[in-house]
Amino acid sequence: MSQTAIEKVISRISGVPQLHAGDVVNPVPDLIMIHDGVVKSSKVMLDKIGILKLSSPEKVIMVSDHDVLYGSAKAAERGSYNRQAAKEWGVGQFYDVGQGGHGHIFPMEEGQVLPGMFYFDNDTHATNAGAVGAFGIRLGLEISTVLATGSTWFEVPKTVRIRINGHLSPRVQARDIGFYLARLIKSGIIPLNLDNRVLEYCGETEQFGLGERVALCSSPTEMRAVGVFIPPSQRILKYCETHAKKSFQAVYSDSNAIFESEYDLNISELAPQVVQPGSVSNAVEVTQTLGVKIDHAFIGSCGSGMYDDLLSAASVLKGRRVAPGVRLFIVPGSQKSMNRLVQEGLMQIFLDAGALVLPPGCGPCNDAVVGPLAAQECSISTATNSNAGRFGSRDAKLYLGSPLTVAASATTGQITDPRTLEVDASMIERAKVAYD
Amino acid sequence: MTEFNWILRGRCYLLGDDVPHADGVIPQQFIIDRETDPEVLAPHLFELTDPEFVKRCKSGDIVVAGRNFGVGQKSTGYIAMQALGLGLLCESMPTQGYRGAIHSGLRLLANCPGVTSVCNNGDEIEVNFATGSVINHTQSKSHHYSPIPINLQKIIAAGGGEAWLKNWALENSNSSSNKA
Repeated sequence: MSQTAIEKVISRISGVPQLHAGDVVNPVPDLIMIHDGVVKSSKVMLDKIGILKLSSPEKVIMVSDHDVLYGSAKAAERGSYNRQAAKEWGVGQFYDVGQGGHGHIFPMEEGQVLPGMFYFDNDTHATNAGAVGAFGIRLGLEISTVLATGSTWFEVPKTVRIRINGHLSPRVQARDIGFYLARLIKSGIIPLNLDNRVLEYCGETEQFGLGERVALCSSPTEMRAVGVFIPPSQRILKYCETHAKKSFQAVYSDSNAIFESEYDLNISELAPQVVQPGSVSNAVEVTQTLGVKIDHAFIGSCGSGMYDDLLSAASVLKGRRVAPGVRLFIVPGSQKSMNRLVQEGLMQIFLDAGALVLPPGCGPCNDAVVGPLAAQECSISTATNSNAGRFGSRDAKLYLGSPLTVAASATTGQITDPRTLEVDASMIERAKVAYD
Repeated sequence: MTEFNWILRGRCYLLGDDVPHADGVIPQQFIIDRETDPEVLAPHLFELTDPEFVKRCKSGDIVVAGRNFGVGQKSTGYIAMQALGLGLLCESMPTQGYRGAIHSGLRLLANCPGVTSVCNNGDEIEVNFATGSVINHTQSKSHHYSPIPINLQKIIAAGGGEAWLKNWALENSNSSSNKA
């Protein structure tokens, strides 16, 4: 019987052929990922029980991305605890601060998360794995169970499909698609419940490079999708083959598999979107928010921390300055991208513009361990969501936009339509092939 | 080992639809701080919407909520509900919250369509969480909802994920080599 991609992957790792949505199994993941924010609570708990050894330490990737600058002694102590924990547990790979970068980005760039793979993670945006046709599933605190026993219960989710029709207009980006989709779901135009569903994009997905695919995973995750899946194109497979740290087998949904529902999404006429404060589903066309004055801007996060996002930002910032009174943070997703910034001249553009380049990681999007907002201040960023208090005061206003929209707004000091500014076209072209 | 008590009897605390986890169930700050200590969390359950709730509630009381209870991706507040000895009936809840609630050992029925229209605030409610039987003693009416699957009931009966792991460690043959 035909299967969806997630059904095939869970069948493989559970050793149970022909699993379908609704089946509950204990899958054995290919990898287990945990980030710096939860290592301590997990290890303290397991130590207390007397579980000192992990079931499969070689599968564990421990990443340091949520707090990489240690703005307090407390944060530094946690970093120290994590280092010791990595040693005691003997984890397969430990990425300390200043090493890999963002845990939902660099493992794909480095060929550790590969098509057809499945891993458990404590963190929500593990869904980024869908960018290469893999599945990363968030477990929160339950990651401790997987660390100890190697597995946990998992109900095979249903799959819904969004069929992409058409191509994006110039200066409209993949993040705009996610914001627009969230808006259509909230308004009921696309009556989808994403809770515990895999969202699979189909249709004209060949146009999207790796960075754009990462961007496409972000907003559905905020709308509670358990996974996002984009069938890997030849370009993606080629990238993965070139960088793969192990062998892999891409999976695709059978065309006659059972999908819960399928909706069309026409993107040809799409305009840049701006998410208003509150929730990612509060998106409107950029033209409806023009002129909103900003104090703070940020480009990065797991939704927009790929190298093409940085190229997009640079295409706007080249030859321009960040507006007086605005602080712009740029947070590359990986050390690899940080190196490229320097080697390919983007760092100079950012410095000349007066932007603040932070080390790879979550940046302000993780509860403002860096770059917070004061009350009454206003920000536009590429963060994953715009809920009050996400970075700094609850009385600050958070807007979201694409990297182009955020960069354009940072240079004018107010929310700006990126289609109204001249940009460096060669950088836009480079962004399209940033991972080829 | 004593038999796990699947039956709670207490007063109904009625809530509507779409109660957000952050600030609706527990103040957002505890979520941001990744707080997991039941003793720290328990005094703050429903604090922002009903500051006196924790003083009034008694072990055995039942939170009865509408659709999409605790919406958001976190489950910090369920640790507090469990610590206070409460049970939960809701019309629906996000899957991430459901996982977290089971992990915290909370007795719950997460699929109770229409439950908010058959319970009033303060009604005397008795719930068997293993069978899905709900008796509203105030209204002298019985109802039935789907219980959670048997294999997940085992986690709750153990006392939540941590206690389940403790049992696992004891039963697992590796546990002797696990001790340093």
